[in-house]
Order: sequence, then C-alpha cells, then structure tokens
Amino acid sequence: MTRFDYHKPKTLHEALRLKKEIPGSAFVAGGTDAMVKIKNKAMRPSALISLRAVPELQGISVNGSASIGGATTITDIVKHPDLGKLFPVLVAAAERLGSAQIRNVATIGGNLCNASPCADTSLPLLVLDASVEIQGLSGTREVALKDFFKGPSLSCLAPDEVLTAVRIPKPHPAAKGVFFKKGRVRMDLAVASLAAFVQMDGNTITSARFAAGSVAPTPLRLFKVENLVKGKPVSEQILVEAATLGEQEVCPICDVRSTDEYRRSLIGVFVRRAMEQLSGIKQP
Amino acid sequence: MKTELRFYVNDHEVMVSVESHARLLDVLRGPLGLTGTKEGCGEGECGACTVIVDGRAVNACLFPALEAEGRKVVTIEGLQKSATELGILQQAFVDAGAIQCGFCTPGMILSSKALLDASPDPTDVEIREALLGNLCRCTGYVQILDAVRRAAESLRKIP
Amino acid sequence: MSELRYIGKETPRPEGPDKAAGKALYIHDLVVPGMLYGKIKFSAHAHARITHIDISKAEKLPGVRAVITAYNTPEVRIGFLRDNLALKKGMVRQFRDEVAAVAAIDPDIAAEALDLIRVEYEPLPGVFTPEEALKPGAPLVHETDPSGKPRKDNLLPLTYHHESGDLQAGMKAAAFTAEGEFSTPTVQQCCMGTAGCIAELDLHGNLTIWAKTQIPFLAQRDFIQMLAEIGLKGRNARVVVPTLGGGFGSGLDTHAYEYIAILLAWRTGRPVKIVYTRDEEFECLSPRQSASTRIMQGCDRNGRLTFRKIDVLQDNGAYTSWGATFPTVMMLPSTSLYKVPNVYFDAQLVYTNNTYCQAMRGYGNPEVNLAIESNLDELADKAGIDPLDIRRINCNEPGETTPMGLKVTTCGLRECIETVAQKLDWAAKRKQGKRRGVGMASLFHVGGGGRIYRSDATGLILKLDDYGNVNACYGGVEMGQGMHSVLSLAVAEALGVKPGKVFVNPTDTSTCPWDVGTHASRGAFMACNAAIRAGKKLRDRIFEHAEVLYPEIVSKNIKAATKKDPGFKVPDIDFVKLAKKENFDLVDGFLFPKNAPLHPVLKVELGAMLRAIHFRNDGEMLSTEVTYDPPNELPDFTKGKGNMSTTYAYGTQGAEVEVDTDTGEVRILKFVAAHDVGKVLNPQTLKGQMYGALAQGFGYTFTEEVLSKNGKMQNTNFRDYKIPTVHEMSFPIELEFVETNDGIGPFGAKGVGEPGLVPTAPAIANAIYNAVGVRIRHLPITPEKILAALKEKKGRS
Repeated sequence: MTRFDYHKPKTLHEALRLKKEIPGSAFVAGGTDAMVKIKNKAMRPSALISLRAVPELQGISVNGSASIGGATTITDIVKHPDLGKLFPVLVAAAERLGSAQIRNVATIGGNLCNASPCADTSLPLLVLDASVEIQGLSGTREVALKDFFKGPSLSCLAPDEVLTAVRIPKPHPAAKGVFFKKGRVRMDLAVASLAAFVQMDGNTITSARFAAGSVAPTPLRLFKVENLVKGKPVSEQILVEAATLGEQEVCPICDVRSTDEYRRSLIGVFVRRAMEQLSGIKQP
Repeated sequence: MKTELRFYVNDHEVMVSVESHARLLDVLRGPLGLTGTKEGCGEGECGACTVIVDGRAVNACLFPALEAEGRKVVTIEGLQKSATELGILQQAFVDAGAIQCGFCTPGMILSSKALLDASPDPTDVEIREALLGNLCRCTGYVQILDAVRRAAESLRKIP
Repeated sequence: MSELRYIGKETPRPEGPDKAAGKALYIHDLVVPGMLYGKIKFSAHAHARITHIDISKAEKLPGVRAVITAYNTPEVRIGFLRDNLALKKGMVRQFRDEVAAVAAIDPDIAAEALDLIRVEYEPLPGVFTPEEALKPGAPLVHETDPSGKPRKDNLLPLTYHHESGDLQAGMKAAAFTAEGEFSTPTVQQCCMGTAGCIAELDLHGNLTIWAKTQIPFLAQRDFIQMLAEIGLKGRNARVVVPTLGGGFGSGLDTHAYEYIAILLAWRTGRPVKIVYTRDEEFECLSPRQSASTRIMQGCDRNGRLTFRKIDVLQDNGAYTSWGATFPTVMMLPSTSLYKVPNVYFDAQLVYTNNTYCQAMRGYGNPEVNLAIESNLDELADKAGIDPLDIRRINCNEPGETTPMGLKVTTCGLRECIETVAQKLDWAAKRKQGKRRGVGMASLFHVGGGGRIYRSDATGLILKLDDYGNVNACYGGVEMGQGMHSVLSLAVAEALGVKPGKVFVNPTDTSTCPWDVGTHASRGAFMACNAAIRAGKKLRDRIFEHAEVLYPEIVSKNIKAATKKDPGFKVPDIDFVKLAKKENFDLVDGFLFPKNAPLHPVLKVELGAMLRAIHFRNDGEMLSTEVTYDPPNELPDFTKGKGNMSTTYAYGTQGAEVEVDTDTGEVRILKFVAAHDVGKVLNPQTLKGQMYGALAQGFGYTFTEEVLSKNGKMQNTNFRDYKIPTVHEMSFPIELEFVETNDGIGPFGAKGVGEPGLVPTAPAIANAIYNAVGVRIRHLPITPEKILAALKEKKGRS
C-alpha cells in the first residue's frame, strides 16, 4: 500500500500553501478517482491535501445564474431544488455519475479536474457555457470550460491551483437540455455520452450546443454540428446532416469498453435523438 | 505517520491510532474488529464495503480514515436490536430470501438503510438507483428488492 | 405420500441471520494467532525461460519471514494431468504463473518484498488461440509430458468422443440441414468474496487448512499427497471450510496459491494466510473455459431430427484443470437434448499460453446449448416450421434411453415448453414486428448426482444429544446455494423434529464423512437423500428403545401429574399395549403412539426419551452414519456412453425482446423460466438459485468477456469487466417450477443448481432473430455486434 501523509487544511490559503511547500503532494476532494489511482500505483503522492471541508469551496447559490463551490458533492447537486429547476440537464447528468456511494463523496471540482474524456458533469456544463474559477497563490482567474480541457486527464490547471467554483450563466428561458449516456450496464463509465442544449423559436433552431463524451481526448463541444444547425428550421434533412456531421466530428478509440465504430454511431444517434426531443419534432 | 482518530461508530465514540494513509475500511476491519464490512474490490465498484457516514452511504474502501474525524459512522454491526433480535431491514433480508453467500449483504443492507432513512416510501426505480453500486453474484437481486419493499412497509407502520 | 411438514414450505435459511448481522466469518475475516501474510509474485511474460531469480533483497526486508521459489523448495506437482507446478521452475507458460512467494508479518510488507524480488526471463514466442497452437511448427507450450517424454504438439491427451447410430444415413435422410459455428468467451466466476486460505502445520507435520473450496475431501487427498512429496509422508491434512463468499465452480480444484501457503507455513513454522485481491482474482485465478462449437443438424420434412454433429474446440490454457473436462458434460445435451437418432460428438482441447481454466456453473452445457438451440431455430427456419413446433415434435419423453445411454426417468420438458409458449403468448408475439420478438431454448442436465469420479458418494452423520438437538456432520459445502437450508429441512422432515433443532456443523474433513464435492447440481439431491436414510435409521432405533421406555416415561408422567393435581384424570389407554415400534410416530420432537388421542401426558418429548435411553445402566447415545452412493455410472468418455446420473433436469426459457436498431441495444420485455425440478424443497432458496443463475446467464449473454491480448488480460477489475447490476434485472421474470416427483430424488426433487443459466443465451439470441432477423453466434451479444449485423444485413438487401 502506498504510504502518504494526510492534511486537512482549514482554509483555501492553507491548502494552497501546503501544496506549494510539500513536494510530491496532491489535492484530493471526494477521493473516488484519487484513491483508485493510488491503489493502482498510477499516483504515488507523498501527501494528500484534502479540499473536502475547505469552507471557500462549499455552497451552491442560484439566482438566475449559478455558482457551485468546487467541493460540492454530486449528491448535493442532484438534490438542490433550484439547480434542478434551472439546469435540469446538469442534474440529469449528475444522477448518472457512478453510484449513490460515489455521488455522496465525489465533487464537481474533482470530476472536472480529473479531466476524463467521459466526465459526466463536464458535458452539461459545456453546453450551458459554464466557466470555472481557479485560484492559486498568485491570484484568481476565470476560464471558460470549453478552454479548460487539454487532453486525457489534462486540464489547464497548474499544479498548485485549485478549481474553486463552477459558474453557470443565466440560461435563455426557452432553452432546453437533454443528456444521454450509454454504458454496458447501468453503472459504468460512458461508452459514449452527449449533452445537448437547444433554443427553439417556433420551428427554427435559434441556437444549439452539443458536448460529447468518451469520443475524443477531451469532452468535446461539437462546434461543427452547432454551426450547421444554427438558425435552421428543424427538418428530417437537418437531423440526418447533423447526425452525420456529429459522427465525423468525433474521434473515438477502441478500448476494453467498446469500439471506435460503435461510439461514432452512438454519437450520431444521440445528436439526432437530442434534436428530435428538444425541437419538439418527436416526443421522447 | 500515525494520528489519533476520534469518531462515532454505531453510536459509540471510539478513539484509534491510524496511519495517515489508512482507509476507513482498514480501521473498521482492523483495530475496531468490525469485520462485517467487507472488501470486495477496493475500487468503489462493488459496494461490499458500504457504510453510512453522517447519513450518507459511502464506499469505505475509498474513504480516507482521517476524514471520519468527528463523524457518525454506521456499520452492519450497528443494526442489530439486541443479542437475539435483528433490525427490521436485516430481518426483512432474512425473511425474503435475499441472502445467499452473504458477502454482499452487509453493504446491500447499509445502502438500503441509507435509502429508507431518507425516503421511507421509495419506488422500485428509487430502490434500484440506491442499490446500483452494490453488486451481487448469487441472488439475481429480485429477492433483495422484495426485502427492501418489505422493510419499507414495516418501518412505515412504526408510529 | 403423507403431507410434508417442512419440505416445500418457504423457509428462511438457518445461517441467514448471522449473514445479515455481519457475523458470518469468511476467509477474509479469519485470524489465527501468529499468522503471517503471504503474497505471490506472478510471471511478467506469457511464455519465457526463467534464467535467474534473486530473492536476497526481499529476504532482508524487515518483517519478511520467508521467500520461496521452485529453487529453494521441493517440487510440488499439481493438476489431474500433473502438468502444473505450484511454483514454476525453468519455464513460465502464462502471465499468472506463480514464480515466487513471500510470507511477512503484514500484507503491506509482503507486497513490498515482492517488488524486491528480481526475476530474469528469456522471452519465448507464445501461442494464444487454439488455431495458432495447432499450426504445424507452432511453439510448444509443454515440450515434454509430466513423465519427461517429448510432446509433439499442443493437443491435450484427452479423448472425448461419441458416435451413435449412422451419421451418414442420418444426413442422407435429412430434408433440411443447418450448419453453423458458435463460440462462448472466457468469463470469470466473479465471486464477491475472493479466493484465499490459511495454512498451518502442527508440530507433528499435520496440516490444517481453512480453504475456500468446494471439494474439501479431494483437496485433502491432494494436500496429503503434497505433504508426502515434501517429506511429511503419512501426515494428515485437515480441510476446514469457512463461510464461502461464493463458489460457482471456482473451488472445484486445488489451486497453486493453496500449495504455496502450505509451503510458506512449512518454511516459517507459522500459520500463513493468502487472500487474493480483486485484481489477482481476475488475473490469477482460473476462469471459465471458452469454447468454439461447430454444429450441423438435420430434420425430415416433418421436422423430426435425423442427425446431429458437434465438434468442439477449446482453449485449454497453459495447464490442465477441470475446464478440460467440460466435454464430459457437453456430451449430455449433445446426445440427449431432444430425440436425435444419429449423433456425432467430438471435443479437442489445446494448450495455449493463455490462462488455464477451471469450472463454472453449467460446466460446458451453456457452451454447447448455445449452438444446439440456436442452430435448431435455424433448422426450423429452413424447414418452414415454427421453432416451438420443432421442439414439440422432438421433445424428450419420460422413460427414454438416450444415445449416450442416459436413462431418463421423469421428464417435464413438454410441460416446460408449453408453459413458456403460453406465458410468452407465443403465436401472437412471433408476428408482432416493431423490432420485437420472442425466442425460446430448452436444457437438459444431470439432476441426480453426476458420476465423473470413481465415487459419487456422500456421507452424513447425525448425532443426537440429550436435549433432542440434532447435530449434522455433512461434507458438502454451503456456498450460498442453500444446502444447509434444505439439509436441515430434510433432516427435520425425515426424523420428526423442528428445523430449529437441527444444527449443521462446519464442513471439516476431520469430523464430516466424505463427499466428492459440491458440483454437478448434486448438493441438495445427495444431502437430502442421505438425510432421509439417516432420519429413518434414527427413528427406527428410537422406536425400538421406546417399546420399553415409553411406558416407563408415561407412567412417571402420570404419577407426577396426579401428585400435582389429585383430580387428574388418567387417560383410559393401555399405553403398554400401544408401545410397539411400528406404532410410534415422532413429530416436531414429540413421540407418541399413532392411534392414541393427543393427551399431553401421552406425548414424550424427544429429549426426555433420549435421556432415558442414555442415563441408565448399559445406556446408549444415539447417532447414525449413512453413506449414499447413487446408482449412476462413470461413463466411458472416449465412447460417450454411460448413465452418468440417476435422473435428469429439464427446462425451457423464453424471452420477449425489443431491439433498438439505431443503437443495437436489446431490451428484455419479459423473461420466462420453466424448470422441471422434481419437487420444490424450499421455494425461497430455489427461487434464489434461479434468479441468481439467470443473472449470470444475462451477464454471459450480454456483457461478460475476459479480454486477453497475447496472453495478458485487459479487463481485470469491475470497472472494465461488467456483471449485471440490480438495474439489469428490472424486467418481469416469471419462474415456473414443474414438479415431476422423481422416484429417486429426495421427496421427488432433482438437482437444480446449474440449469438456470444453461439456455438463457440461445433463448435471447433466438428472440433477437425473431425481432430483427440477425443472429449473433458469438457471445457476448453486444450492441456493437448487433449494430454491425444489422448494417451488414441492410447492405446485403
């Protein structure tokens, strides 16, 4: 078993200071990713610095827009009535993350910073145009989530920075979202997943955002598909084109869970079904 | 590095010296001698190590022991009513035939308890969601669902 | 038959409360004072020469008490073909080969020590499929056989063959034929409690081993042999079985880790515990053998089968264990499921550098059943006959003798087929379209023991004490299937006591009589048949004593009652005359004459009777032993002939499915399982067995597969290897138990531990074909395969 020290800082500043002072240390929040990596020797920290109870990272405030502390558990997100009312697509994805035991300790900050291409909360946040507040000893910055992910398990977070909050801007009242996730069984990392957020004006797609999971090195906004459908009236033809373009825009791989070909097909199906559902052209 | 850890297990305050890298699972099964909580995979996938911490079900294999400081932990050993009487959930599992090899049973019961404590009248969908992270290889789950329904009904009857 | 008091009634299992309380002790929970922790170093290659092992650094690590390899311990040869060594010498032939082992004062130090052991290898080319291994000039997995004779190829020297009737004539007589190749993958038993043992030698050299095993007595034999080989000839091995966290066939052979634990205990003089982590369980324990089956069947114009030809090729992996005997069971449905006059069966096993395999529930039956039942639907399709009808036409009947010489006694297959057809609303649902369809498949399996060893016997000791408690010593193993439940119910029923007075002792070779092993669905059948015989023997002895003692005790009862209440009315009965052994009954622990009125003073509590028998001059303490060896035959597997069991289990399963043709996902709308169980002993444990087997069947059908690349497993945890969760069992499942009341089965019961997962995959495959016209012949039936098949079908049309 890997040996490491364990620190429970009482403030964000203390956490940031410890990280700087202890070589080989790593931040941990819920631990559902970190503890597995440590067990499998993919991570060998000298010390873990726990963000779980750091006060500056707690809390959800919803007032048209939303601000979610980085150490907010997934369960707290699922249970929050205002988040459920205003951002149901986020709650829909959060509900599909792991299992109840995982959601009870896993955090939104941890899910994003782990930067898996299939991070469940990343997809609705991307289509909601969320941004993240990042703090280090040298100061605070805000990064649009679409610029946050750099590669598999890689984000733009510097080693001594903490994701302190997730900010979701006020959505258009008429916009609606949907989340699809396919696993081999119900509790699974996504074989492929998709979040969509669409605003209609009558029969016309005013705007649409799509984010796909497990089909690229990072969670992926499907900008090409979004540009294709923007401003267009919804029709069978646009559905087919969007689905085809979605299949082409992603670059999935083969792994123990599925094949590249299948994942590609799924994205096409998800894009189509998302548009059918959100445009009102077909009931779910 | 060893630290003194003080927390509550099944309503009893305990104090135990733990290594900084210890998991809650190691502390429960080791120095506290509570072997009812099992290790099935060590990675949070099977749920055999499920315990309740401050009212929420967690995988003890992923829970750093030091995070339990000051918290209330419930394990399977805490559900028995007396030396000769099981708790309602436990009895329901026995009566419904929901137990075969029994290895997943403590975790399964704790996840069920966490659900029923929060939602006394759950739908089948809600029960399945609560038990999604508890794998069983023996029973096929059908009688487990029956046990949770029976327990929910018995618990609702208590004034 | 008189009304049964306990058998057939829904009864919670006796060990349930302990398990619900977290009190049951599994190997993981056991601690023996002074115990060391063992860990094993596994090979870094699929095939390589071991050129050097340096254990010096590991030995010096504080806390380490022993480091062993094949080079500093006596050779321990294992496996029924003796082609394996506990610790590998000279050569590694698979990634999970045990190369070294450490015993230390805690598991962390043991793991650390493993990293300090340096092993040098000279990698060799390997073979990773049977086809590759059979190519001329392929590298040999074993260059010599265990006796040292050079081998010429990778074929296993095991013959599994059957020919009956005239295959050529059968083929000629066929108006329609269907041919196909099917395969099933390697899958893992996935017991929730991993493998492990604690080994301890006493100062005389006798071994005690707490083992996660289903074969305590065959293990005893293996360990005694090992003790002899390490200089402890004539010593005993005692195998104790703790509460098992599952079995499913994984405990049907002894494992290298057990011998290694014994070697470490011997080397250190301390008890040694080895427990597998989940990763080790996936990577280093023997999973279920894969199989490729080529099948051809034909029928006449009326749908009557005229022949069946089956060829099986199996990847044996690097060493031989019970996976290599799967064809002994494959022969049964191959020759005997449905009436088929001309049968050819052959199976070949090939050494490769993949993991070697053990047993798993069904033991070859699900593998060939996939082929037989899928192919039967294909044949029906060609012949223009409804798959339901082709099964009706060829249905087995009671009293048949099959081509293998299996003597069918009771047979509920027809009822099972009709039940499934009716519950699925077959005729209507076949035609419903809308990407929905129905399919069915039947099974045939041993149900009355299974003679695959020179003895299929079981023994039972019942010991009565002075209080009417019955202690049962039984050598079969409770692994969650409910054996202790039905055993205690059968003893209670047969003897005449309440089930709560029956205590089943822990399985321990030093106290329990021999049993060949808990396999072949024989547990309940054997235990309960032994219980019936033992119960009767004890009743006879009690009633004999009661002839003299009953009148004595009743007289005393009357005296005491009269003394207490002078107005006591003495019953007007000549209880001396009634006191004949053929007159007595024992019910719920009370003994009384059958035809006397139920006056309380005339009922003698069993404990009182037993104390009367015991506490006097020349007194007696009552216990009995029964050996039950069912009248079945050890077949000649080179000819495929012999009545392996005393009765056979039948069943049919059916599914209604809906296929999402965009995603290839299959949704089960309804599943029906109708099984001929002979007699339901305990509805609760039987349903549990069925639901559990079905869940494993669904896993086998849809998601489970051990992925291996050049011998290295790719998915060695629950994140990457998916078994069904509670969600995957959320559709309606209807179970129907057909009671054919078998003459040889205890209370009419047949063994049913395995049948539940045998026909599951073909039932679903057949339903998918009805729904969308594609047939997947290679498990698992994944959405990827269905989508690809649909695309290919679209492309062709």
